[in-house]
Amino acid sequence: MALDHLFFKRDVPFPLVDIDLAKATDAELKVLSKDMGLSLSLDEMRRIRDHFVSLKRRPTDVELESIAQAWSEHCCYKSSKVILREHIFGIDNGKVLSRGDAGVMEFDDEYGYALRIESHNHPSAIEPYGGAATGIGGIVRDVLCMGAQPIALVDPLFFGPLDHKGELPAGAKTPKYLVSGVVAGIRDYGNRIGIPTVCGGLYFDESYLGNCLVNVGCVGIVKKKDLRNNAVGGVGDYLILCGGRTGRDGIHGVTFASAELSSKSEDESRGAVQLGDPITKEPLIHACLEVNSLGLINGMKDLGGGGLSCVVGEMALSGGCGAEVDLDKVPLKESGLAPWEVWVSESQERMMLAASEKNVKRILDLFAMWDVDATVIGKVVPGKHVTLRWQGVQVFQVDLDFLTKGPEYCRPCKIETPSKTIKEVRPLLPDTKTVLLDLLADPNIASKEWVFRMYDHEVRGGTVVKPASGMMNLGGPSDATVIKPLPDRERGLALALGVNPWFCGLDAYRGGMASIDEACRNIIAVGGYPDSFTDCLNFGNPEKPERLGELKQAVAGMGDLARFLNLPVPSGNVSLYNETAKGSVLPTPTVLGLGIVEDVRRCITTDLKKEGNLLFLVGETKEEFGGSAVYRRYGAKGGVVPEVIPERLKRSMDEMHAAMKKGLIRSCHDVSDGGIAIAVAEMCLGGDIGAEIKTNYESWYLFSESNTRWIVEVEPSKEKEFLGCLTIPVTKLGKIGGRSLRIKTEVDRTRIPLKEMRKAWSGALPKLMG
Amino acid sequence: MVVAEIRIELKPGVADPEGKNTKKALELLGFNDIKGVRSIKMFEIEMDADPAVARKECEEMCRKLLANPVIQKFRVDLR
Amino acid sequence: MKHVKVCVLRIEGTNCEDEAATAFASVGVSPEKVHLKQLLGQCPSDLKRDLGSYDILMLPGGFSAGDYVRAGAIFAARMKSGLKKDIVRFVEDGKPVIGVCNGFQILVELGLLPAMDGTMSEAPEAALYTNDSGRFECRPTLLKQEKRGKSVFTSQIPKGSVVMYPSAHAEGKLMFPRAQQKKMLERLLENDQVVFRYVDPDGEHAGYPWCPNGSLHNIAGICNPAGNVLGMMPHPERVLKRETHPDWTRVKWKEDGDGLSIFRSAVQSVR
Repeated sequence: MALDHLFFKRDVPFPLVDIDLAKATDAELKVLSKDMGLSLSLDEMRRIRDHFVSLKRRPTDVELESIAQAWSEHCCYKSSKVILREHIFGIDNGKVLSRGDAGVMEFDDEYGYALRIESHNHPSAIEPYGGAATGIGGIVRDVLCMGAQPIALVDPLFFGPLDHKGELPAGAKTPKYLVSGVVAGIRDYGNRIGIPTVCGGLYFDESYLGNCLVNVGCVGIVKKKDLRNNAVGGVGDYLILCGGRTGRDGIHGVTFASAELSSKSEDESRGAVQLGDPITKEPLIHACLEVNSLGLINGMKDLGGGGLSCVVGEMALSGGCGAEVDLDKVPLKESGLAPWEVWVSESQERMMLAASEKNVKRILDLFAMWDVDATVIGKVVPGKHVTLRWQGVQVFQVDLDFLTKGPEYCRPCKIETPSKTIKEVRPLLPDTKTVLLDLLADPNIASKEWVFRMYDHEVRGGTVVKPASGMMNLGGPSDATVIKPLPDRERGLALALGVNPWFCGLDAYRGGMASIDEACRNIIAVGGYPDSFTDCLNFGNPEKPERLGELKQAVAGMGDLARFLNLPVPSGNVSLYNETAKGSVLPTPTVLGLGIVEDVRRCITTDLKKEGNLLFLVGETKEEFGGSAVYRRYGAKGGVVPEVIPERLKRSMDEMHAAMKKGLIRSCHDVSDGGIAIAVAEMCLGGDIGAEIKTNYESWYLFSESNTRWIVEVEPSKEKEFLGCLTIPVTKLGKIGGRSLRIKTEVDRTRIPLKEMRKAWSGALPKLMG
Repeated sequence: MVVAEIRIELKPGVADPEGKNTKKALELLGFNDIKGVRSIKMFEIEMDADPAVARKECEEMCRKLLANPVIQKFRVDLR
Repeated sequence: MKHVKVCVLRIEGTNCEDEAATAFASVGVSPEKVHLKQLLGQCPSDLKRDLGSYDILMLPGGFSAGDYVRAGAIFAARMKSGLKKDIVRFVEDGKPVIGVCNGFQILVELGLLPAMDGTMSEAPEAALYTNDSGRFECRPTLLKQEKRGKSVFTSQIPKGSVVMYPSAHAEGKLMFPRAQQKKMLERLLENDQVVFRYVDPDGEHAGYPWCPNGSLHNIAGICNPAGNVLGMMPHPERVLKRETHPDWTRVKWKEDGDGLSIFRSAVQSVR
């Protein structure tokens, strides 16, 4: 359909088009949205048309593009906001300092910590190296713009099976290629900017074949007096754009993120994948923190999705003002960009500062010393409008209320709980030794050392509990990592992930709860106490009722548990449309939990410490195998997804924490993927010592993944005092010693040498990655 | 104006992990008949100078920054 | 006691300056993080600094200038073009210079190490090349102190003792020109320039992963013949306290980390 009759090129020496929306038919509006890459629905296009009809003028291309950015799923959460508001928002225990681009919580009297996690899924599926790298860049800016020094990165990643042989969805790349690229992108960007990548996860499932998930989280530390709002200070402030230059890279990134991937995505969306430049970012971090701590700026915000078009409006509106911008002052990577391209470009490594006139010169000088571009591009004005000029010509003037109050939907939602409808089919299991070795070598459980040794997880010199715990170069996995943010204080932060997409696939509500439970028990296991969460919700197309149902249920589960624990979720991110023609990804709500560690010198690690010490199971094991590693490995169907009893979790956390504070626990590991058997095996690997355990049940119970459980090591002399601390169920499992893991169940005895376990667990990933 | 192409390559016998890993990545993308991949770095430098002077300056650049003689050799081509 | 001034030098991409400064601060002196442009006078006048006014120079780790061209090469070239005289004087005055990780790479590119024939060689005489594994390696490494004579950095680390400084680098394999490898190594040993070598938990010189990069003769750190310029790949500034050691929850507690002694030694030498 030709739409030429709607476009009126303005007689100015640069590209500027007025679009006659008033004359457009519904069919034409639809085509217009598609042709311009706006990803807006017909209703939304009509709303824009009516707005400009009421203003009695035609919108310019700059205005239309800008509104599309602001109203994209990515920017305004139009499908998820109603659900999030109901379940997640607003939990407040009085320790939330800010809910800005990153959430900020109280750390101690003087400091706060910032946290956020978000997705960079679609760009990484198209260009894994650049996509992952810019994902890090974006999340670091979110933390930085609160005035916080970034101190840790976290990366949960989800791919198709590494050994996938069959057909790939059209346009998809092999999982192995994607893993290599994503890991290299995180490595090269994270290592270069000097922020330790301390925590992560690698998850493999068929559902991620065409649409991998790359979630990136960042934690920062900020003096309360340096905490910044993402807002201008007031009328008269100068707007200073700093960091990287603006180019055509990353145009339509947010609208691209708000559509399903297809075989054409690669060709159509290359422009939406930005290129990162860590060596612009690194000094940008220094310069921004320096001008902030000197008190030279009033507000700061990063340029992410939507670029300038989002940042200027949001900063002005948050400060109760409008803004005027001379768009042609923006430093460009290449000449010839149209005004709308400059306005919506998502070029990386850019920050916006708002500062009073008297401080502008000093700010520009300091940026010059760091060789980072900084340019005054506009000014804050009274009123509620943003006005843009290009070579003196007004190209844009939009009411901020209209621009930023994007649509919100209560889309139809269908709730299904497959675990209740699928008939449970238990698989036939081989002998316990085979099962254990198979599970240790399962890529979802096997050692991730191949990955985390490539990440500098110790830069900044504050990593206390590292990704590996135990003997040097022989360590087992850690439950949470612990960072000491300030060199002169022993107070620390524990970072832990919680996510189980297989639980969520069968029962999104229980899966959502389990993700919170997992993050909590990981934090408890290192000696911390849960303090807050940030979440990245990766789901399919919300326009399909059953997909939205999954989102709603998972969020309800997470929210119900977080609210019960009274632990806030001060930031988060939603990534929808994670699907291809072959279907949706498993519902994947990734939770990053943060815990406070009062004294990092009292932390506990997972590795077994001493021959003769006793092993206990804390918590209750139930017949809950739905979504478990053993069911997946041996082709079972259905099953009950492990439930969480909120009261039980809270009591367990408190009692375990108290026992740890009394110094009664020598090592501790949460029970998750693979159940008790795998937890104990991993503890043996870290301590390079065997153990003997006994259970009165059948071997099945060894692999149940019931929530709220830990394995703990206790010295015999402290057994009584330890048991005296607990009112929750606790079972003596056995004791430490020897060079093998011996398991006695009601029906059989098994002996697995350490050597064989290590070979299975450590060898799996390097072998698959070749 | 002259354009100098400065080619920096590893001296014989120095291992080339970038080449090796690139080969692996290319094979993962389905290119199966690759025998070897070598990484060679190229800088293109535009100069406003007499060719003889330009060559000399480029060689100086290599000595001052672009090549480490312990592991790398360089070649300057003008066009 | 003398007031000791430490210059922690940085450019864009230097990223271990905070913990490097903390290291000096925790042994009781006042470090200052200084941008190279402050020494070159390319900054507002109140920020200008003079290298000669400092007692110790530290080049921290990181990816200076992105490690583009070669690790450390750009930082070294910029220092050499604008500060050569000042640096040579600093070294010839016997003041301590320490480069860690990227700092070591810079010292080698700068010609301050191994510097067997004078304070600073015209061209680099060695290279820190890509690890044998071809990968970035972030892992604990054990180092044996092997210097026979005294050095300003090891007065508190007895010869033959083993310390744990973690490594995190992709290019840490010390190399000399192939044809002269053997001869250069002999001279290095003869000059008593080898300070640290990678060992395993039994104190034996061992291969991967204990030597993470395949370095010549397991060398982790070297000094100049005079002993006041030290370069090393592993990071002492990351283990100032016991709790950042990799296995601290397994061993008997003591407060100090292994890294402190190197900074204590350096400071003691200028007091």
